[in-house]
Amino acid sequence: MAAYQSKNKRVRNSAEILLIIVLLLNACAFDIIHVRQSPCQIEKGKSNRKPFRLGKETQVTLDTGYSRKLKDGVRWDYVGVIPLGEVFRTNDQILTVEGSNIFEAYIVVSSGKLVGFYLPVQKAFSPISDPIELEMIELKHIQ
Amino acid sequence: MLSFFIASCAATGPKFAELSSSISTWPPDTGRIYIYRTTFLGAAVQPEVELNGEVIGKAVPQGFFYADRKPGDYEVLTSTEVDRRLSLTLNSGQVRYVRLDISWGFFVGHVFPVLVEDEVGKKEIQECRYVEYKKTEKQSEKKEPGDEPQ
Repeated sequence: MAAYQSKNKRVRNSAEILLIIVLLLNACAFDIIHVRQSPCQIEKGKSNRKPFRLGKETQVTLDTGYSRKLKDGVRWDYVGVIPLGEVFRTNDQILTVEGSNIFEAYIVVSSGKLVGFYLPVQKAFSPISDPIELEMIELKHIQ
Repeated sequence: MLSFFIASCAATGPKFAELSSSISTWPPDTGRIYIYRTTFLGAAVQPEVELNGEVIGKAVPQGFFYADRKPGDYEVLTSTEVDRRLSLTLNSGQVRYVRLDISWGFFVGHVFPVLVEDEVGKKEIQECRYVEYKKTEKQSEKKEPGDEPQ
């Protein structure tokens, strides 16, 4: 009787351990890299910032661990403003923010530094932990 | 044997280069999203691809398909053992290229959509073959008039 109960307990313990492993693997491999984002409204036409070109290539490490390059010479056009900075977009390169999912993104600049990304589909701001100085060369509107 | 298996998993329609002249125009006030897969890696994993909740094609190796849509916000979704999403905007007259890549999974590989630069997409899609997607009866019932996937 004691041997039967002991065997039953071992089987139950093994099943529990297997279940925990499966759940952990699921969590680790599949869906834990979330892009931090908070909803925000973009106000268009609040200021009239000029477009700029980036003076040098800038490497950005996202909080998710992925990295992105902002290409040298790319033109960025002002879109609007959100509470954390001014939003610029470009047609010269594809910019996305990546975690488990991928989001098209615009850049958010405050005091000459890249502070994060605006996600136009989610209408949300995604910050970066370490703001990066940008070499911004201001352009006239038609250039 | 291996080449037979790969061939049986790959797209069999006409190549993009052969079709491009006949599909180079699309309805006014719409943009186009090309979706393609170049890699044979994980060839047996061919999930359906959804655009804003509507199935528009299948991730067949070396295959492509496309959808013409009104300007707006879109989400491309592939589901294997997990969901992988790509969100993007589309303007009138704009062409977007979405490549379906594959990564390791627990039981099966994960196919995930990636937005690529126009020059990259234009080049990579040339050798891909058109994948015709046939809707099931259930999906056809949900179809909205004038919103036919390509």
